[in-house]
Amino acid sequence: MQTSSDAARLPRGEAFWHTCQRCVVALCAPLWVPAAAAVLRFVSGYRIRDLRRVRAEFDRILDEASAPMLICANHLTLIDSLLIAWALRSPWRYLLHPASFPWNTPEVKNFAATPRQRVLAYLAKCIPIERGGGGEETARVLRRVAFLLSAGETALLFPEGGRSRSGRVEPAEGGWGVGRILASLPRCRVLCVYLRGDSQHGWSDLPAPGERFEVRMACIEAKSDLRGVRRSRDLSQQVLRQLAQLEAGYFDDRQ
Amino acid sequence: MDQAEVMERVVKILTPWAKDEQALASVAMETSILDDLKVNSARLVDVVIAFEDEFDIEIADEDVDSVNSVGDAVQLIQGKLG
Repeated sequence: MQTSSDAARLPRGEAFWHTCQRCVVALCAPLWVPAAAAVLRFVSGYRIRDLRRVRAEFDRILDEASAPMLICANHLTLIDSLLIAWALRSPWRYLLHPASFPWNTPEVKNFAATPRQRVLAYLAKCIPIERGGGGEETARVLRRVAFLLSAGETALLFPEGGRSRSGRVEPAEGGWGVGRILASLPRCRVLCVYLRGDSQHGWSDLPAPGERFEVRMACIEAKSDLRGVRRSRDLSQQVLRQLAQLEAGYFDDRQ
Repeated sequence: MDQAEVMERVVKILTPWAKDEQALASVAMETSILDDLKVNSARLVDVVIAFEDEFDIEIADEDVDSVNSVGDAVQLIQGKLG
């Protein structure tokens, strides 16, 4: 995958530690990525409808990439990142193409509150973020995401910020973090992914065992002529509106 | 525009988003926008845009990172006003 010519930059120390985590993740991935997929499939009994089509579409989108690509999804459960990663590619392809396994930014209090959780999050290619935390710390995480995207890696973010309490994508309630990343990477594409289980009516910690999921995707390149924070908000809103459109299509087709 | 006037207008903008009325009633320069006033962090961008409109200034993403307290917002705005 080619990298953007306008790469986001990190201080040398942060770039070094990012590279360290990437290497450790690559070494440990064969130990846990296939196991995680097996748990989702055979223990939890989850299924992705039209899995082959979903994965073929993701492969096609990645192959077309000549610019950074950020994955943005709706958010209903604590394991959405894992479910989406599993839906988009088989574990074996991730082991062959480790850069395509997305980084993600889980909430500290859910996934990195204890030392053990922090170790597991580190190995699972996570960059924990404290929602509602100090601006400098949040900015540091967003800069790191922009950096890894510009280096040809992928990341999965939830533009709503947290799990949707209404069970639906609410563009007006979304944050602006995704927009800040896109503002720093003008050519960055966004793969909007809508994931929903047949029996999911709202948010929860985990989907019900045996859940059947549908995945819908659309790739956009958000652009804005606005400046400053308005630009970041506008870019975030474009992504959220695309997710809302995917959701509308999902519910329309079920009627 | 002096600091007191800027602060008064900043607090007026923050009021609809502040969830802690007690903290709002005793707001001071040191009052934290997120921790004390309990403004939703996702709504911070709306607050900043309201600052831009109120004071006719432009605020960059990076400027917002250093705004933790009401006083930080006041100083940022005064700096932009020149």
